[in-house]
Amino acid sequence: MAAWVKGQEVGLDAAVSAAAALLSSARAPIVAGLNAELSAVRAAFRLAAETGASVDTLGSEGTYAELGALSRGGAMTTTPAETIGRADTVLAVGAAARSAPLIDALRASRPSRGVAAGAERTLLTLDTAGDPAVAVATLRAYAKGHLAGEHPSADIARALFAARFGVILYDPAELGEFGIEMLQALGRDLNESTRVFTLSLGSGSQDRAVVPLSAWTTGQAPRVGFGRGLPEHDPWRFDAARLAASGEADAALWLASLPCERPGWLGRLRTVALLGEGAAAPDVAEIVIAVAVPGEGVGGTLWDEGRAAIAYRPAAGTSALPAAAGVIEAIRRGLASKEAA
Amino acid sequence: MLIRIKGGRVVDPTAGRDAVGDVDIENGRVVAASERTPDRTIDASGCVVMAGGVEVHSHIAGGNVVLSRLLLPDLYVSEAAPEGHPFAHAGGSAAWIGANYARMGYTTAVEPAMPPSNALATQLELADIPLLDRGALAVMGNDDHLLSLLREGEGRNAVRDLVALNVATSRGLGVKCINAGGASAFKDGMLRLSLDDEIPVYGLSTRRIMGALLDAVEEIGVPHPLHVHCNNLGLPGADESFVATLDAAEGRRIHFAHAQFYAYGVADPENPATGGFRSAAERIIRAMETNPNATFDVGQVVFGQTVTISLDILRQFAGRKGAKPKKWILNAGDAEGGGVVPFLYRPKGPTSSLQWAIGLELMLLSGDPERTILTTDHPNGGPFTEYPRIIHWLMDKEERDREIATLPKIVGERSSLPGLEREYTLSEIAKLTRSGPAKLLGLDDRGHLRPGARADVAVYRDSKDRTAMFSRARLVLKDGQTIVEDGEVVDWRAGHSLSLSVESDKAMARRSDAYLKDRFGAGLDSFAVPDEAFPMGDVFEDVACRA
Repeated sequence: MAAWVKGQEVGLDAAVSAAAALLSSARAPIVAGLNAELSAVRAAFRLAAETGASVDTLGSEGTYAELGALSRGGAMTTTPAETIGRADTVLAVGAAARSAPLIDALRASRPSRGVAAGAERTLLTLDTAGDPAVAVATLRAYAKGHLAGEHPSADIARALFAARFGVILYDPAELGEFGIEMLQALGRDLNESTRVFTLSLGSGSQDRAVVPLSAWTTGQAPRVGFGRGLPEHDPWRFDAARLAASGEADAALWLASLPCERPGWLGRLRTVALLGEGAAAPDVAEIVIAVAVPGEGVGGTLWDEGRAAIAYRPAAGTSALPAAAGVIEAIRRGLASKEAA
Repeated sequence: MLIRIKGGRVVDPTAGRDAVGDVDIENGRVVAASERTPDRTIDASGCVVMAGGVEVHSHIAGGNVVLSRLLLPDLYVSEAAPEGHPFAHAGGSAAWIGANYARMGYTTAVEPAMPPSNALATQLELADIPLLDRGALAVMGNDDHLLSLLREGEGRNAVRDLVALNVATSRGLGVKCINAGGASAFKDGMLRLSLDDEIPVYGLSTRRIMGALLDAVEEIGVPHPLHVHCNNLGLPGADESFVATLDAAEGRRIHFAHAQFYAYGVADPENPATGGFRSAAERIIRAMETNPNATFDVGQVVFGQTVTISLDILRQFAGRKGAKPKKWILNAGDAEGGGVVPFLYRPKGPTSSLQWAIGLELMLLSGDPERTILTTDHPNGGPFTEYPRIIHWLMDKEERDREIATLPKIVGERSSLPGLEREYTLSEIAKLTRSGPAKLLGLDDRGHLRPGARADVAVYRDSKDRTAMFSRARLVLKDGQTIVEDGEVVDWRAGHSLSLSVESDKAMARRSDAYLKDRFGAGLDSFAVPDEAFPMGDVFEDVACRA
């Protein structure tokens, strides 16, 4: 076991009790990170509901850019496997897409399914230095014929219209909400005459598993707040970084059983940190509880970027540390018993 | 503990019961009438007692359902949480779905469209639906692996083994095909597909794919017949597709999803594409009468804002232009793809009024309500929470006439609904919502109140206001435990996910594993739905194959 309260090593039960007491006494707690197996994220939503907390997820910059554009205009999307298997034309928008591992896989193969099977694959890039949304808007203007003449974007537009199965690859964090909305509008234009879909790169954290769980649990995407006794979706109000910086939040649960960068507010706000083996240290937060890493010390359901789906990853080994879900549930039970008392 | 529901009007058409009497329950099952003094007596005088409702086709979980919440965050309203469950009043959430079905007296619900590539997420979502037993149908018919097997002319055994493996791996309750070959054809540039059109690359047709799946389902012994979503949904002339598909079944068991959306005959033969549609309900019903192998669920339309959710990407792509509000999601996914398109069934609009009329017509013309299942294809025709209102229209000609009087004349010009005098009896409602769907799913332990039945029971206060009566059950028992009293949930217990117990062939498992690794960089294990993934434990309940 490895748990610390104010830097002092304690047993798990003592750390859980201290965590329950800390969160019970908070007026506006936040539950953040959620870079963990889905069972732990599920438990965290239940804890948040009981404590009236706001919920935010790591990887949120790209996630919220994506969700904002999605709820305003929709999207035309595909998967990595369909891109590799079917795409005869791929456009990488921006620097992150250009250097994505998927590009290497696309370069090393040809489409193997569908009408383009066996064809040479065309890989294109759109430079988005400056304002990415403007770069995409320019491309769209050429595609729609609002701009004419020789221009790299004119060539890209022609290539996309000529695609039999085209894919536009982008990083939502880099492109931003307006850029994504513009890109999806371009996708709709292209599909008036051919099949072109978009594929957004993941953040490397578990936000893409958190979003569906949040949707089926609360009916809404994150960020979600439970302060008024019902789930409310508001990406601005429930932004953990903003709540911490403004002083609105007075306590936090940080959940990261998988490795990730820690936010700066962790040491400043009264926080219960559940950290994966190797990342846990006494001075990271007021209360620190080390938990097993999913896929290593414990099995867990995780986002699989290659499959663009949720998959169960069994434990590769064993761990003496508890699974995060059990710890969160114990903290939640501690809240309940405190209320009953 | 012996529980007696006493003195209610017990309606169980499977036992020929429709009279005041008692229902005895012990250990979660209905038992034969007993001389013993019950430990608990529930006074049901003035009430109607039925088996718990069974839903066969409602989009309650899965990737597209999730996307619909993201696309339309304000479709449902969230309210303050009730005691005992933090999320049940979160509009559109899994808990909200379970609570709203249970309040209406439903105790089982099936998600009809689970792509095997997204099975774990779908099953996790289903497992978070409280109060109900639930299940999902594995969707096949567009996946390259299956289509390649068929193209290469591999035998029936290979197809059977691949289907069995998909059902076993995804832990499905049955098999569905959605516009078989349509998603593949769409990705390859086609925008319309009929039963015998050639699907690019594979040289197959919907007829061949569906035929292979019909055979596979029979050979595996799946209790639920192949669940079929035909070509050309929603188009004038879709009745041709329905009847042609029924003929193509050649006497094999087949279930048609949301028949209302196919009961559209061409209104103007001179201008079939532009002349609109008229009801083909009579034609559909005649075809059903001569094909006792077939069943359908209705897909009744109700007025108001909704969102359409379908793996039929061909249909959803075509429907995108009618999106209201003007936004949609189309996903060229692994195998199936799909789309989420918001839609407004305009109150008093001519098209939606006719659609509304055709759904009711199908039910009112049907001579066999057990093969005519009540659904709204939630949320495609409207939300399942409208069932009580639909039941009211079926049972009460005056109530129907009041609604028709508010609608445009086209209802009378292009459907026979205004002239239909029939009023459903309670026994017929039980067939439509209980015994029919339970038989269709092959679940012998529910949908009736005979000794041995699972004690899933709904007790309604009898009232001429059928909407009020069926909206808030007075009492609902799940496995003999009271979960709803006076329309409110009193015990947030979990049901089970019903999963077909099917053997999969080891050689096909090895072959699929290699195929999946090549295509996804991840093998069969990555597609599994293991018990360990479910933090709540005791999730699945096995359902046996037919002998």
